[in-house]
Amino acid sequence: MTTQPHILVIDDEAQILRALRTILTAKQFKVSVASRGEEGLTMAAAQPPDLVILDLSLPDMDGVEVCARLREWTQVPIIILSVRESERDKVIALDKGADDYLTKPFGIEELLARIRVALRHSAQTLGTQKSQIITVGSVVIDLALHTVTRAGEEVKLTAKEFKLLAYLAANAGRVLTNQSILSHVWEPADADRVEYLRVYIRQLRKKLEDDPDNPCVIRNEPGIGYRFLVDE
Amino acid sequence: MMRLNPFRRFRTFRGVEYLLAVLVTVIFTLIVLPFRSAGGQDHTVLSLLYLLPVVLSSLLWGLGPGALVALVSFLALNYFFVAPYYTLLVHRTQDLVVLIVFLGVSITIGQLVGRVSKSLNESTAREHEAIHLYELIMHLAGLQDEQEIVSTLAEQTLITLHADRIDVLVEAQGNLPARHVRMADRSKTGFPLEDSPTYITPLQSARGFLGEIKVWREVTSLTQAEERLLQTFASQGVQALERVRLSQAASRARLLEESDRFKSSLLSSVSHELRTPLATIKAAVTSLRSGMVEWETEARADLLAAVEEETDHLNQLVGNLLNMSRIEAGALKPERSWNSLAEIVQSALERMRTQIEKHKIEVAVSADLPLVPVDYFQIEQVFINLISNSTKYSPVGTTISIHAEAVNTEHLLISVKNQGPYVAEEHLDRIFDKFFRVTAADRVTGTGLGLSICKGIIDAHGGRIWAENLDRGFGFNFTLPLTWEGFALGTEQEILDE
Repeated sequence: MTTQPHILVIDDEAQILRALRTILTAKQFKVSVASRGEEGLTMAAAQPPDLVILDLSLPDMDGVEVCARLREWTQVPIIILSVRESERDKVIALDKGADDYLTKPFGIEELLARIRVALRHSAQTLGTQKSQIITVGSVVIDLALHTVTRAGEEVKLTAKEFKLLAYLAANAGRVLTNQSILSHVWEPADADRVEYLRVYIRQLRKKLEDDPDNPCVIRNEPGIGYRFLVDE
Repeated sequence: MMRLNPFRRFRTFRGVEYLLAVLVTVIFTLIVLPFRSAGGQDHTVLSLLYLLPVVLSSLLWGLGPGALVALVSFLALNYFFVAPYYTLLVHRTQDLVVLIVFLGVSITIGQLVGRVSKSLNESTAREHEAIHLYELIMHLAGLQDEQEIVSTLAEQTLITLHADRIDVLVEAQGNLPARHVRMADRSKTGFPLEDSPTYITPLQSARGFLGEIKVWREVTSLTQAEERLLQTFASQGVQALERVRLSQAASRARLLEESDRFKSSLLSSVSHELRTPLATIKAAVTSLRSGMVEWETEARADLLAAVEEETDHLNQLVGNLLNMSRIEAGALKPERSWNSLAEIVQSALERMRTQIEKHKIEVAVSADLPLVPVDYFQIEQVFINLISNSTKYSPVGTTISIHAEAVNTEHLLISVKNQGPYVAEEHLDRIFDKFFRVTAADRVTGTGLGLSICKGIIDAHGGRIWAENLDRGFGFNFTLPLTWEGFALGTEQEILDE
C-alpha cells in the first residue's frame, strides 16, 4: 500500500477547514490544517506536504505572500482558494508560482480533480526524465522533434504556434495566466498584448480541436488564462 | 470697507472751480466796465446783471464757488461802479442799501440754484448706481456655478468702477474649492500696479467670511457713491454664492435621501431573496439528516440537487448585490482587455449548468467574431443575468437562443431571445430600472436587480441595451464597441503577420 498523500490546508474559516478535513480524510488523504499564514509556513517546513491548499485572505498575511515564501524553497503544488472578487490577487498568486485556483464556493468533485492533476504533475516533475511526447485524444505532440500529429496526420504549425503549444503542453493541467504565457512565448514586453494570445489560441484550436468552438484540449480559464488538458 | 490709504480719502481740492468762478466774475466786470456811465447812477441795473455770474457759477460749480462769486461781485460792484470809484467806500445810504440787498439776494439765489443742481447730480448718480446694480443682478441671476458667479462679479465691478484691476477671492470651505478670479482693464496695461490694492471689501455672509473683493484704481479714488456701490456689489455676490451653496446642499440631501430609499428597498428585497434559498437548503438538509429519506432513493437525489441549485442561486445573488453596490457607488470600472465573446458566453453557460438544464440553449456566437475590448467578468455577468431572466420567465422546455454578429466595424450586436411572454410596450424601458418587476414578486424569484446591473455594465462599456417583443417571445439586445479609446484592433491576419 502506498503512503497517503499529505495535504496542508491554510484557510482562516473554521467551517471550510472542518469540511475539507472531513472530506479529504474520507478520500484517503492525510490532512493537516492551519488557520494563519505563519502557522501554515511553519507546518509546511516541519512536515513538508505533498500539496498545499491556500486561501488568499488570511488574518495575519496575504495569501500571495505565503505562496511566494513557499516557493522560495519548495516546488510543492499549491492550489489557491479565493472568492470571486479577488481576480487580480488570483492572477498575482498564479504568477508567483501557484499551480491552480478554485473560486469559492466550489464543488468538491472539482477540488478532488484539481488535487489529482496537481499531484500527478508534481510526480512528473520529480521524475527522472520528463516525457517528451504528450498525447491528448488523437493529438500527439513530440517536444523533441517539434512535430504534432492529429489522428496520425501531421499538423502544420508555424514556429510561434508550436512554441505556444509546447509551452502549454509542458505545463499540462496547470493554469497559465495570460501574462505568463505572453512573456514566455513572446517577449516580456508583450505581456499585455492579450490580443496576440487570443488570435494564436484560436489558430491552435482550429488545427487541433475536433470542435474548435467547444474546445476541450486548450481550455479557457475565465478572465485568467488557459489550461492545457491532458487525459486523466 | 477698509481704506488702505487715508490720503486717498480726500477728494482732489476743488480750487480750480473757485478760481474759475472768480475768473468769470473778472471777465464779466471787464465786459461791463466800458459801459459804465459817467453819472454812476446805473448800479441798480448792474447789480441785477451781476446776478448772472452768480447763478452761472452756482449751477456749474456748486454752492461754494457760487457764494464766492456773490462776494466778489459785491466787491466789484462796490469798487468799480459805486461812487466814489476805485474805493470800497460808499457815500450814499441808497447805494449801501442796494449793495447789501445785492449781496443778500445773490447769495440766496446762488444757494438755491446750487442746491437744485446738486440734488439733480445726486439723483443722476443714484440712477447710474441703480442701473449698474440692476445689470449685476441680471448677470448673476440664474448662475449655478460658483466660478461663473465669481467671474461675473469681478467683471461687473471692473466695468462699473472703471478700475484698473479687480481680484475676487472666495475661500475654500468644506469640500468646496477656493476660487480666485482676476480681471484687469486691458487698455490700462503697463500701468504700474501697486502690490496692495486700493480697496478691499469683504464678502461677508450671515454665516461667516466667504472671501473678498480687491480693487485697484490708481487715477481717482472712489467716491462715496462708488464705495457704497462696491459694498452693494459684494453683498449681491454673497447672496448669489449662498444661493448656489444652498441649492447644492439641497440636492446633496436629496441624493442621500434617494440612496437611503435605495438601501431600504434593497434590504427588504434582499432579505426576502436570501431567505428563500436558505429555507430550501435548510429543509432539504434537515430532512436528509433526520433519516426520513432513505439513502439511494430518488427523493434524496432531488433534495441534494435542490441544495446545490439553491447554493448557486445564492452565490449569483451575492455577486449581483456586490455589482449593484459598485454601480451605485460609481465604482464599476470595466477592466478591459481584448476578449473573445465566444469564450465569455461559454464560461457563462458553464457556470449556469444546473440552471439551464430545463431549457434548450442555442448558441450562435462564432469564435471568428472580432475580439471585443471588455471586462471579462462583467460581460459574463450580463450573459448570466439575461439567461437567468430568460429561464425564469419562459416556460420549461422552450428555447433560449444567444446570437452575436458584427453589425459594422465598430459594434457587435448581441441578442438573447426566449419564448417567454410579452412585456407591455410601456414597460420595455422600465424593466432595466432597479427593483422594477413586471410580474408580482411572489410569482418569480429575483431581486429585480439583474437587468439594472446589465444596464449599468453595458453603459460603462459604452454600449446600449434594450428589450423588445418578438414574433414568438421576448428578446434582449445589446451592443458592445469594437474600439478601445478610439483604436480598433487589426484583423486576425494582421496580428498573425505581425
